[in-house]
Amino acid sequence: MKAPFSQYLKSIAPGLKKLIGLLGKDYDYVSALATDSKGLMVRVSQTNRSVSGHTLTTERGIVIRVHVKDHYSEYALDRFDPQDPEASYQLIRQELLKQEELLKLTKSQMYKTGALSDEPCRLFVEKETVELPESCDVEGLLAFMTELSDSGMKMSDEARDVRVTAQSTHISKMFLTANRDLRQSYVYSEATVIPIVSDGKKTDFGYSGVSDLCGPELFKELRGCVDAGMKQALDSLHASPVEPGEYTIITSPEVTGLIAHEAFGHGVEMDQFVKGRALGAQYIGKRVGSDLVTMHEGALCAKDVTSYAFDDEGVLAGDVTEIENGILKTGICDSLAALRLGVKPTGNGKRENFEHKVYTRMTNTMFDSGTSKLEDMIRSVDYGFLLEGMESGMEDPKHWGIQCIVKLGREIKDGRLTGKVVAPVIMTGYVPDLLGSISMISDDRECFGNGACGKGHKEWVKVADGGPYLKTVGRLG
Amino acid sequence: MMLKDILDILKSSEADAWAVDSQKINRWEFYFIKHDLDQNRAIDTTHINITVYKKSDDGKYLGSASDEIALSASEEEITDKVNGLIARASLVKNPVYSLRKPVEAVPDEVKADVSDISRDFIETLTDIPETATEDINCYEIFVASIEKRYITSEGIDVTQNFPKSFVEVVTNARDNKREIELYRSYDSGNCDKDFLKKDIEKTLSYGRDRLHTEPTPALGKVSLLLSTADAMQVWNYFADRINASMVCQKISDWRKDEAIASDVTGDKVTLSSRKFLQNSSMNRTFDDEGALIRDEVLIDNNVVKDNWGDQKFSSYSGLSDSFILSNFEVAPGSKSEAELRSGKYLEVVEFSDFQVDSITGHIFGEIRLGYLHDGADVKIVSGGSVSGSMNDSMKSMHFSKEMTQYNNARVPAVVVLDNVTVTGAE
Repeated sequence: MKAPFSQYLKSIAPGLKKLIGLLGKDYDYVSALATDSKGLMVRVSQTNRSVSGHTLTTERGIVIRVHVKDHYSEYALDRFDPQDPEASYQLIRQELLKQEELLKLTKSQMYKTGALSDEPCRLFVEKETVELPESCDVEGLLAFMTELSDSGMKMSDEARDVRVTAQSTHISKMFLTANRDLRQSYVYSEATVIPIVSDGKKTDFGYSGVSDLCGPELFKELRGCVDAGMKQALDSLHASPVEPGEYTIITSPEVTGLIAHEAFGHGVEMDQFVKGRALGAQYIGKRVGSDLVTMHEGALCAKDVTSYAFDDEGVLAGDVTEIENGILKTGICDSLAALRLGVKPTGNGKRENFEHKVYTRMTNTMFDSGTSKLEDMIRSVDYGFLLEGMESGMEDPKHWGIQCIVKLGREIKDGRLTGKVVAPVIMTGYVPDLLGSISMISDDRECFGNGACGKGHKEWVKVADGGPYLKTVGRLG
Repeated sequence: MMLKDILDILKSSEADAWAVDSQKINRWEFYFIKHDLDQNRAIDTTHINITVYKKSDDGKYLGSASDEIALSASEEEITDKVNGLIARASLVKNPVYSLRKPVEAVPDEVKADVSDISRDFIETLTDIPETATEDINCYEIFVASIEKRYITSEGIDVTQNFPKSFVEVVTNARDNKREIELYRSYDSGNCDKDFLKKDIEKTLSYGRDRLHTEPTPALGKVSLLLSTADAMQVWNYFADRINASMVCQKISDWRKDEAIASDVTGDKVTLSSRKFLQNSSMNRTFDDEGALIRDEVLIDNNVVKDNWGDQKFSSYSGLSDSFILSNFEVAPGSKSEAELRSGKYLEVVEFSDFQVDSITGHIFGEIRLGYLHDGADVKIVSGGSVSGSMNDSMKSMHFSKEMTQYNNARVPAVVVLDNVTVTGAE
């Protein structure tokens, strides 16, 4: 079935167009992004169950963007009467004028930026789904998730809890200007199993999940996550600390995705180029990785939780080749950064929700596959680690440092996995060294969409990332 | 729809109990590149979240389900949503627990004028002394005035008004070879001009030092000194471990009237809830579920005296008058900062992302700027990482007599964690 576009958004569209017309008399660029996204979040553990309509991306509201002389202002609202756009017009005008008065008082200068072009475009997209979160069988889902949690508890005496979370969001967004009318509706879902284990002295956890651009029908795939999550939790609990040092490493697709995201995901967000906050700006056309490295970014380069049809500025989704055979080709860009840099936007302007500002943000960030087999990659390692499971990472676009918190490492000795596990593992280093040392890439790849990404320490949006297994050299602690 | 209409629908529904959380937000935002305005934004929204409760027929279970009601929702939409939530709540089999009851108290009001507070922030940021080689790259200012009303079927109806601010600042330092940046963010109620100015000036001086770093050597085990907001990761670990939810779910084994560690040779932790801390964005009379917040010792010299938590896990834990922790204070340590700054230690003032995991106790962080002290010798270092475990470090940790405040926590100004492993940058 098609994910149906919001009837509410359809009902306010005529009034919103009138509001854009009214504001158009005062401002030389006016856009409106209206959202109406519904969700379902179900959590089951041994001690608690909850059902909510909230997910990270549920919302209903409108954000108006206007170009004021030489800069941009925005007003976000959640009360709009389509029969009385004049009332909203007055509110927006008054509030923005108050801000202009304050800026005069503080003698603030403007970062001068021209008006965005408003090329005509019409788009109506309803993506395929089997189920919708609004009509999901919650009773059946609760029973299934309880069964999963209980089955995980039976796997080990050291299990303390098995937390199962399932969430699905039906996104509806409408972007309007004087000349553009873009509407999209799609459903994405994700689910995780997090076993908590303890030996009485230490407590640890594992993590396994699924995600896709689809409805709650995804959740049945969770069954395989219980084994994987529990194995990871127990292996981590009984692991030894890693001896700090530089090692040959093979990154699993999840860790590969984390590297893609932190290294050249954030590193080429071009709103940072505008501020001089990214070293990547000086490396366009230059080598940043080995010949084997090719990396893509864009809503169209994979099918996962953020594979939309257009971004939050009404730019159609793209697929950008960021790195090709080790050479940095270009970055990703929101509309205002593109205007300031004199380049084309890439469909990466995203907001946390309608109340938040647009920044250049990632969608799907993926290393391309190579030609090697994982077994051959392991066989080629004299001593090193196969890194699995990602906990978190942090970008450093200005200096190209990288921090990846990885769940565990499996020891490889003389081309074989020994069974010894080290955990926890913090991988750090200099991005070009890490990518420059990539010597083998597997011929498969996976995409992971369970995470959320912040810009600095805020502005959380859904992202997906991944790739194949990579053999490289990394510093572990 | 107005709040009254939502309440009428809930009152006439088949819910056994309900709660409504309404937050009216007026937020102003200003984004600057250098000191030029990139964008100004205004937000005028009201979020109304409802929770409905349904008991099982045998009275053993109490289920709940929640969702947001959009202001633009019609009466029919709200009625459908409430009925849907009641149906879902009846499927949720949580052991029965007590809902919060009303408590008589007058909420403290904190005046918030978003224009005045925004002006203070803009003028303070503009007033920071900069040079040709150390300056501000960009900053973002968020100032909100929030009216929060919480109403329940149990008779709670409290309204609280408060300001909430956030500022993000990126600074640069450069020489003729390269440019580096440092990142800082600040949560607060209003604008504390003096604190902000002083802290950003200090950050600019760190930037100068970062231009002249050498790679962090592989130090093995070393004492890690924390003197910035990263120390809050350590103190939040202690606060998290006494959350009734963590204890009930067997994630924390810190039990009431028991010591949190054995064989302790360092300073012992005394952590107390504080209803009010100067300029905290978390100053409230009531918590998010209408419970009265009070000053109380929660950990006394490493012994758990009480847990904090939400109504569900407090009820499961047998806590009759608990509340959700907002502000807290950690008592001073036994030594002065000068005494703690002796011998060999690594002071890290900028990490990529310093973390103390509340479940495992693991400590992580990539070093962006550190000072390796060995007596009078000081090396400025960058790169590599720290790792360790709070399970070990809290036995020998020391903290200063001098105090500082990071938004909702008043804590010792300096913390020293022993036996932290430093992986070198080379």
